[in-house]
Amino acid sequence: MSHELDRLAATVKTELKRMLDAGASFADARLYDEDRSERLTLYDGNLETNYDANERGIGIRTLYKGAWGFAATADLASIPACFDKALANAKAATLLPGFPKDMGPAQPAKGRYRPPVRQDPFEVPTPEKLALLSGIDVKLKDNAVAHRYVTAHFQRRRIFYWNSEGTEVDRWQLNTFGSMAVMAPDPQGRTQRRSMELFCSGDGTRGWEWIADPNAFGGHAERIRKELAEIVPAETLPPAKRDVILLPGQGYLQTHETIGHALELDRILGYELSFAGGSHVRVEHIGKLRYGSDKLNARAGIVPNSPGTFGFDDEGTPQRDYYLIKNGILVNVLSSRTDLAEANAKAGRVAIKESGTAARACAFYRTPIDRMTNINIDPGSDGTLDDIIAATENGVILDVPVSWSIGSNREHFHFGTEIAWEVKNGKKTKVYKNPTYHGHTLEFWNSLDKVGSKATWCLEQVPNCGKGEPNQIMELGHGIPVMRFRNVDTGEKE
Amino acid sequence: MLEKRIRDLLLDARAKARKQKLDAEFNFHRERSSLIRLGNSSVALSTFEELSRLDVTVQQGRKSGAYSLTSDITSSAQLDEALAIAANNCRAALEKDYDPIFGAVEESVDDSTGFDPALETLSPVAKTELCKRVVDTVKPMGKYDFSGSWSSGSTEMYYISTANDNEAFRRLTDGRFTMVLKEQEKKWELQVERTQKRAGEFSADDVIAGFKGMLPVYERNPGFKTHTNRQRVMFGPEAVSELLGLTVWGAFIGRMWEEKRAFSSHLKPGDRLFPEAITIADDPTNPNVYGMPFDFKGHRRHPRVICDKGILKSVLYDSATAARYKRQPTASDLGNDDFCLAPGTAPAGIDAGRKLAKDALYIPHLHYIHMPDPTKGMFTGSSRFNARLIKDGEFTAPLLSSRVTDTIPSVFSGIAAISSRTIPWNVSSTYDRRSPTAMSIPEYIICDNVRISDVADSF
Repeated sequence: MSHELDRLAATVKTELKRMLDAGASFADARLYDEDRSERLTLYDGNLETNYDANERGIGIRTLYKGAWGFAATADLASIPACFDKALANAKAATLLPGFPKDMGPAQPAKGRYRPPVRQDPFEVPTPEKLALLSGIDVKLKDNAVAHRYVTAHFQRRRIFYWNSEGTEVDRWQLNTFGSMAVMAPDPQGRTQRRSMELFCSGDGTRGWEWIADPNAFGGHAERIRKELAEIVPAETLPPAKRDVILLPGQGYLQTHETIGHALELDRILGYELSFAGGSHVRVEHIGKLRYGSDKLNARAGIVPNSPGTFGFDDEGTPQRDYYLIKNGILVNVLSSRTDLAEANAKAGRVAIKESGTAARACAFYRTPIDRMTNINIDPGSDGTLDDIIAATENGVILDVPVSWSIGSNREHFHFGTEIAWEVKNGKKTKVYKNPTYHGHTLEFWNSLDKVGSKATWCLEQVPNCGKGEPNQIMELGHGIPVMRFRNVDTGEKE
Repeated sequence: MLEKRIRDLLLDARAKARKQKLDAEFNFHRERSSLIRLGNSSVALSTFEELSRLDVTVQQGRKSGAYSLTSDITSSAQLDEALAIAANNCRAALEKDYDPIFGAVEESVDDSTGFDPALETLSPVAKTELCKRVVDTVKPMGKYDFSGSWSSGSTEMYYISTANDNEAFRRLTDGRFTMVLKEQEKKWELQVERTQKRAGEFSADDVIAGFKGMLPVYERNPGFKTHTNRQRVMFGPEAVSELLGLTVWGAFIGRMWEEKRAFSSHLKPGDRLFPEAITIADDPTNPNVYGMPFDFKGHRRHPRVICDKGILKSVLYDSATAARYKRQPTASDLGNDDFCLAPGTAPAGIDAGRKLAKDALYIPHLHYIHMPDPTKGMFTGSSRFNARLIKDGEFTAPLLSSRVTDTIPSVFSGIAAISSRTIPWNVSSTYDRRSPTAMSIPEYIICDNVRISDVADSF
């Protein structure tokens, strides 16, 4: 650490002790020494977004008589005052107390985390980045394409964490996101779109080398342009009950909305009720609820190359890999240390043994809340996409979300996708446009009857998951195989 | 005006940019935000953030680059560095195929009329005490849990550019209060919301009365499961704001319209888009909105009717879209326009509305609303808080979760009544920087033939 960082660390440690002396049962601090972000977007060939950003500051939590207070400042000369503010906020919260928050047994940890990176994108000259994007843009261009974009987004964070239990974590986070899309009006005047996001197998490295790899990104430009050309003249998917085969590009959203969010403990306990909503899951369900068919194995996983892998969460707990749903049965939820005592009291037993290491904050000026990490579906044993198609009599293959609307308790959903391929008698036949499908969460996951093998498994990145008040946008990952669901309501009746 | 220390630093940075012959824009944002979050009838979180942000944009001919810094701005060295990074980004940029518009403050603005020091410093203790009174009064009436949030604070926005010596400054306060009552076993949810410009604009008694007014129907009647068909719907305040937001996005955003992605793209100004009952304006002078007097390209903002009695008058152009399509910008370089849906002639008040609606579904909130097809104005969202069945002009039962999937033109073509009273509705996003945004909306609209596409067995 630099001299300045040493001085800040000393100040923070002094203040953490002062909070305990003032009656706090726990306190922690996250110093973002750097939070850089760079975004480049070519829209119809024009560089419409070309910015760099940096954020530097500290966020402080104090737990006083079972109530949380948080304060943040960019003024690093006023760290003691910021601690005072956090403590005052916690004291105010005790005026309307609830189930006392409790961090459980102390879990002091010391550690550091570095993501796998070969070439730091912030060290790559801008002209080189623009050359890559321009090259992709040229491949997206076509007389039949009305509009197109290609974008790259890089993040680099240096976060120091300290808490009153003696935990000290030094963490780098580096993310690379890329997306591209082509759009064109169909004969009915509706804009159709085909897009793709930078993805991987879960392995590899997260730096500039990833987005520069044609297999992961640029090489897909011609594919999406050709697929758009098939979507535009296609018929709208007629309404019917049919089997649905979700490619990872859509399966990730299904998992995100109807497993990930539904299993966040703060939602389950009602702390997100007024904004994002609740959950159909109750803590009493853990270990008992049949969430899906035997084929469903969902986990909060650790994947080397994913924005949902961070080494230590924002409570300083080393990240864990654990099942959420095992052979269709709900076995755990996404949690942090804060709410375990309340959850277990409500369940009337020890339903959650340890933190799910899901305490995450999006910036120094936001407090950690229960967030998704890598919510993955384990690969199955039903072979390749072709094998699943061959076993399907009447179905559609769906890919990439266009719209999503989900019930407040995540009990039902309605999704639209960019493209559908009809499957008839084991063969992929034709493309449909405007595909939609809807269903009820448990019924839907219980209809899962085919799960593709590891070769179909993809790590999809989510750069923009929104939750919390004040709102927080979080980055995470979903490792998803191809999945088939039986007898699903598809298409719009009107 | 902005604190002298910061203002001097920014003016000095502008002078340096001029000396370097850089066309530069400086946009400074400072917020003091506090929020309490309720969960399970307690304060689950109490936060305070004091943040300063500086955006610097440099433009050279058809190239531009930007840099944004969130930090304590204390020295000219920080501004020098920010300017240098933005200039470097600009130098490395690709040329656009059109001439971008460079920002210039049309006329100096120094506006603190929307600032209330009492709301800026409203303490978490005062907020908690109000919430505690509500909880202590209403909770014993049933098996209820309360959640919600109360965000308040101040925002300062200051914009200058090297184009001239003018300065645009705005300081204001805003607040949004939301409290949700959930029945622990039956799972229905009631919500009371308030929009604030100043402290003391509502009391615990107002909130208690809001809940008490709804409870009897919920307590005495089981949930009503409606049918998937077309029905009369009375949309309440938040649903109206959601519909207005989608309408503006789907029909009046210049880029959407120019690129044929809007459901108004087949029309030109002067053509009929909606029935005569619909008038929509972007009006910073409307007393219900927070009213931004300038945008972040320095344009002075004036009232602008975009739909007059159903006739498409104009669409809204931010500077980038205006430059690209050779149009005039409409002072829309903002995250917080001031959209207003004009009132109708129907009697004021939700109770008067339900009597008028006679037999209808009352849907005051559309949860997770989305527009899968903007070219048709098709949207989907489901009922949530406060939704009830109206029979013979009375609220008779809570409504089980019902999904509306329809098009904006279809919903508006079925308008039977619009309340004659408009109210402010805070639609501020708390993503990123504090950006107070409110709409002026009629407190209800009644529409026939609204498509209910799905119904659930739960609330």
